[in-house]
Amino acid sequence: MHRFRLVLSILACFAAATTSLSAQTATLRGTVTDSASREPLQGAAVSLVGTSLRSETNSAGQYVLTGAPAGPALVRVQMIGFAPVQQSVTLESGSEVTLDIALAASAQRLEEVVAVGYGLQTRGELSTSVSSVSAADIIGQPVASVDAALQGKAAGVQVVQNAGNPGNAISVRVRGDASVSASNQPLYVVDGVPMVAGDISQLGLGGQGLAGISGLSSDDVETIDVLKDAAATSIYGSRGSNGVVLITTKRGREGRTGVTFNSYVGSQSAPKRIDLLNSTEYLDYMNAAAANDGYGTDYFGTPGVSDSLNSDWQSAVLRAAPVSSAELAVAGGDQRVQYRLSGTWFDQNGIVVGSGYRRLGGRANLDFNPGSRLSFSTSLAISGERNDRIENDGSDIGVITNAIATTPMAPVLLPDGTFAGPDNGLNYPNAAALATLNTVGARTTSILGNVEGRLRVTPSVLLTSRFGVDLIDVREAQFQSRRIPGTYAAGAKGVAKSGFSNGNRYVIDNFVTVSPHLGVRHNFDATAGGSVELNRSQLNFIRGEGFSNDEFTQVSNAAVLIEGDGSNSRNNLVSFFSRANYALDGKYLFGASIRTDGSSRFGTNNRWGVFPAVSAAWLLSEEPFFKASFFDYFKLRGSFGLTGNQAIEDFPFQGLIGSANYGDDPGLAPSNLANPDLKWETTAQVDLGIDMAFASGRVSLTADYYNKSTRDLLLDRPISSTSGFTSVFDNVGRVRNRGLELALTTVNAESRRADGFRWSTTLNFGLNRNKVTALFDDQPFTAGERSVNRVEVGQPLGVFYTLKFLGVDPATGDAIYQDVDGDGAITSADRVVVGNPHPNFTGGLTNTFSYRGFDLTGFLAFSQGNDVFNLMSIFSNDGGFNTDNKFGKARTYWRQPGDQTNEPRPSYDGTSGATEISSRFVEDGSYLRMQELTLGYRLPEHVAGRLGFRSWRLYLSARNLFTITNYSGYSSDVNSSSDKNIGLGVDYYAYPIARTFTFGVQAGW
Amino acid sequence: MRIRYAFAFALLPWLAGCNSILDADPTDQLPDNKAITTSEGARSALVGAYSALQDIDGVIYYSGDFLALGDLSSDNATATGTFTSYAQADANQLRASNASVADIWSTIYIAINRVNNIIEKVPTVTDLEDEEKNDILGQAYFLRALNYHNLVKLWGGVPLRLVPVKSLQEAAAATRASVPEVYTQINSDLAQADQLVTSTTPTTRATIGAVKAIQARVYLYQGDWANANAKADEVIGLAYELAGDYSDLFDEEGQDTPEDIFKLLYTAQQAQFIGYYWNSTDDGGKAELTPTQSLIDAYDPDDARLEWSIKDDGEGTISGVKFPTVAGTEDIHVIRFAEVLLIKAEAQAQLGDLAGAVATYNLIRVRAGLPKHKLGNEVTSQADVLAAIDRERRVELAMEGDRWPDLVRRGAAVAVMGIPEFQTLYPIPQGEIDVTPGLTQNPGY
Repeated sequence: MHRFRLVLSILACFAAATTSLSAQTATLRGTVTDSASREPLQGAAVSLVGTSLRSETNSAGQYVLTGAPAGPALVRVQMIGFAPVQQSVTLESGSEVTLDIALAASAQRLEEVVAVGYGLQTRGELSTSVSSVSAADIIGQPVASVDAALQGKAAGVQVVQNAGNPGNAISVRVRGDASVSASNQPLYVVDGVPMVAGDISQLGLGGQGLAGISGLSSDDVETIDVLKDAAATSIYGSRGSNGVVLITTKRGREGRTGVTFNSYVGSQSAPKRIDLLNSTEYLDYMNAAAANDGYGTDYFGTPGVSDSLNSDWQSAVLRAAPVSSAELAVAGGDQRVQYRLSGTWFDQNGIVVGSGYRRLGGRANLDFNPGSRLSFSTSLAISGERNDRIENDGSDIGVITNAIATTPMAPVLLPDGTFAGPDNGLNYPNAAALATLNTVGARTTSILGNVEGRLRVTPSVLLTSRFGVDLIDVREAQFQSRRIPGTYAAGAKGVAKSGFSNGNRYVIDNFVTVSPHLGVRHNFDATAGGSVELNRSQLNFIRGEGFSNDEFTQVSNAAVLIEGDGSNSRNNLVSFFSRANYALDGKYLFGASIRTDGSSRFGTNNRWGVFPAVSAAWLLSEEPFFKASFFDYFKLRGSFGLTGNQAIEDFPFQGLIGSANYGDDPGLAPSNLANPDLKWETTAQVDLGIDMAFASGRVSLTADYYNKSTRDLLLDRPISSTSGFTSVFDNVGRVRNRGLELALTTVNAESRRADGFRWSTTLNFGLNRNKVTALFDDQPFTAGERSVNRVEVGQPLGVFYTLKFLGVDPATGDAIYQDVDGDGAITSADRVVVGNPHPNFTGGLTNTFSYRGFDLTGFLAFSQGNDVFNLMSIFSNDGGFNTDNKFGKARTYWRQPGDQTNEPRPSYDGTSGATEISSRFVEDGSYLRMQELTLGYRLPEHVAGRLGFRSWRLYLSARNLFTITNYSGYSSDVNSSSDKNIGLGVDYYAYPIARTFTFGVQAGW
Repeated sequence: MRIRYAFAFALLPWLAGCNSILDADPTDQLPDNKAITTSEGARSALVGAYSALQDIDGVIYYSGDFLALGDLSSDNATATGTFTSYAQADANQLRASNASVADIWSTIYIAINRVNNIIEKVPTVTDLEDEEKNDILGQAYFLRALNYHNLVKLWGGVPLRLVPVKSLQEAAAATRASVPEVYTQINSDLAQADQLVTSTTPTTRATIGAVKAIQARVYLYQGDWANANAKADEVIGLAYELAGDYSDLFDEEGQDTPEDIFKLLYTAQQAQFIGYYWNSTDDGGKAELTPTQSLIDAYDPDDARLEWSIKDDGEGTISGVKFPTVAGTEDIHVIRFAEVLLIKAEAQAQLGDLAGAVATYNLIRVRAGLPKHKLGNEVTSQADVLAAIDRERRVELAMEGDRWPDLVRRGAAVAVMGIPEFQTLYPIPQGEIDVTPGLTQNPGY
């Protein structure tokens, strides 16, 4: 009822506003051309300074601005790749003025339009820190999700793939990790609608998750703007702390109907195998382990007999897998209606048997301008995803897990083609059987869209009303076959799980943009509005056991329903926001914004949070004294502001009672300890930046220094469980992130001819230093897989905290660990910080060459100084305590007194200290990866035209061609922990990241 | 004029009544002040306290870890699976970081907090008859005593929480009481329970018999032989008798036997894991635990319990099959009549009544299909009788988690296991030490 009334009142307000309009106006029209070629330019933005009037030129280069206020006016024309032009004109009331403008080409991207949240600005006007990635940077990358395509493309944005399975949820960090228990993912806003965030899977599969963002096809993306500093993000208030990723989708433009077709096909494979012992080496090692502990010789088998078979388990579960993608889009329109309709298809088989990902999507973006004052637009996308996952990271029925763990002496298949089992010498369930017979499927349907109405009340007052939805529906089904001996499912005669998850978000935004005409020296605009966001989530889960055969895989076939669960939760957000920008003489830029958020996630004591920010910039290159200098462009920026984070569960502040049943009797029990003072996590951020261009625009550089201090951390902090609760959400502690960002673009060579040789280089570089500066009573705590990660004051979040390995005693072969407390015994008190999962710096280097129709792009992504905890070692480098196959490094194990080695004496009883979790398992995860190498050829226009195309490009591309790293696992770009905040940098049988070769075509009609 | 419209437009969310939007209560949980205010709430809270004995959010108490470690730390079982926390327990090299030790600790305290809520709130519930109110409170006292006894058996002195924790400050304030202090509390809670409990059924809940049986056990642990004997006699005075067949006790349907005193109810939906952990992989189990040769040798070859408890498939695989299925539907006995008889026998032997002791434990032997012992024949001295009782306890209660506390109770753990003295107490979980400034670690860890 409430919502209905709300919608009514919006409509009423709209109607009321339309009745009061003024008449002292004129019309301005003209043509925009390229000053060199005299060709008309399509897509140039023409605006009237001091008003919100804006027009884009059509394919004939024409624009019209109706309803312009009479009097002196300043017309600004901007287009990417051209220097902006401002021209004065006087408008008589009721007149029609024609103004043609020519633009000169420029290498700078100052005119690039940047989405800033509830509005747009050009890069030149910005006094805040925003990184932009365009469609050209991400198109054609053979990855399911837009966020994966961001890796190395934007300075200060660190992307960790976590695992290589297709369609996996990815960790994106804008300027470091700040939060311990709340999410560290940035806020994704697609065409103004904040997306539902978080892992939407109910089936816990370690580092593999499902995320809503994968429903968005990268083919539909026009630009991605990453808001980084507080002045940019505070307009999103309580959700701005982790940065905001604004995604703008492609829209139709006035002009003739164009059809584009983009497609590629490719093949993927695992770029490497982990070095494991062969059966002879394995037998030798395990026999030595047994013999050292008095089990006698040849305990595990007779050399030359038992090791006659040498199975390559990794090859049994890895495969070459195809990937393909296709997009067909139609776009066009006239003055009144512009449209873009697209359909996309993406199909990726995983390189591990049993995994894959498929997406079918459709999008309709429409713009409708019934009159000069009123316009409507809608963006609507529907996608269906099919995600086939496998049990993996850290699971004892994981595919990769068991492929690494299983003894090479045992066969994969029996002579009759069936899977071998424990009776055939397997020490773990058969990895190939797990990959083939078990399934973990998810079907996701999502609808993401908005309807927007804009009313220009006067030339300088624009009302915008937007209604957005993000609906996501996930249906997961897992089946574990009864036919794999050694698994739980074998005893239970098959296990099936089914989970339905539904998340709904409805957003209503209303805002006013005012851009009063204050004379030609002043440029002022202000935006103010409010937003209501309603979120609902519903989950259902059932598990059944007992199946007569493997043909029956649904819970409905199960003999017994073992488990049923469901939940229903909600949270709402009410916000008011405003922002003002002022430019004096086009060179002194000021901005200020403030947002107030009320969230249902917090108690009445601290329900509302206020997030202000200010920014200023000085365009030195506009100063007369600077004009003659070496620089074409020089801007100094500074900003300060507060942002928040509330990405936690829905009711953490309340003392709660949940259900706890016993037999058929329903029971209740305390489920949450009350903390009525719980409030936002707040980040204060200072940013100092510089933007410059020199050498006739051939070199442009953006550099930023930032200092982010996050306080009142929302921490699901452990409490003494003697209280009856193991943890509680509390505002404790501080984390600081300081860093430098650099984005450098150079045009190294440029022929004067339009199709001559051109070589440009882009370098993105981000350096972040993370440090925990306060905790609850400054008490450190451990977390993550096997508790190897630590949160401790003075250290970065999630450092590795274990025993320190000093070497192997040449006399005994025992591992020696540092006795920190000097008590003569190695205990948990001897743990120290032994590694840091945070990189010293990350970035990407792109080189693009073009000549005639050819283009060549090479993109290197790099990360330096990030340590990886190779947690597989606790089984595969444990001295033979477990029967898992061992890493190749174990070959140099200690054999006799006097041996100098780092590999301890094998010991079946674990007496050599090799089983201790220690720095022995920490590896340097630095890498330099050839992320992308693409060679393309564009047919000359006249040739394409003869074939009936407007444009035609073919390309060959390689992704992940090679990686230079010392890391011994599949990939150091990894995190197997389901906890992505503290449990960082842990490789616990992560899914390998594929190498992909693709062949693609981009055609336009 | 226009400005006013513009403002109204921008402030629409406010007009829509945003404060009511922000009051979102959960739909599947209750604010804590609304619980345990009625008779229904009181009964449900008691159910919640029993539920805690099984497991909490997958953190395992009687359903798995608590029983598993009781055999792994002793000479009954070896760890043969993938759990490193079990391997540490098997090797008697527990670290303070051991996950199973931490899980058992926190689960028992969560169980205690549920009971404390009942003890605090149920007296204020008005729509309960006195008899039912007392019975609920009595069961709560019983459960608290059982939980504290399980703590003191494994860790020695532990913090005593007797009222529900309501704030973060209270949560952090915990210091260890001494072993005698903990026992004083347990004795006092059991004495209360003994007065208040009036139920005699079902055996899946605390009854008069269950209270007295646990009292006998707790006296035995304190070396108070006279009281242990007396309480055992009180139980024997009730209508319990040994189940005809040992196997009936571990029936997968959870059928009742006259031997049941207090057992936890398990179903397919609320299953235990202990059977899954003991059974061989060939039988669909996880083989995390395997019986030791020493345990097999402790059985007389003709012992009916041997065949029921341990399976040798003839191909070299030995597995524990006392809980015969991997589905986990067998009920778990917290205490049964056989244990009460063994408590009585031990108390009698300690008090010098050797003939009485032999007569008592012979009841157990006969049920297992074994010939009776005769004083002066198979056993002569007090030491002989105690050794026979110990062996009888070991095989009767094998895989039920009793062996390790028994070894520690009798001061035999160091000699039998060949371990340093400090390892007879489990380490306080490191995570607890980290967040509880007043909590001290057991020596040696």
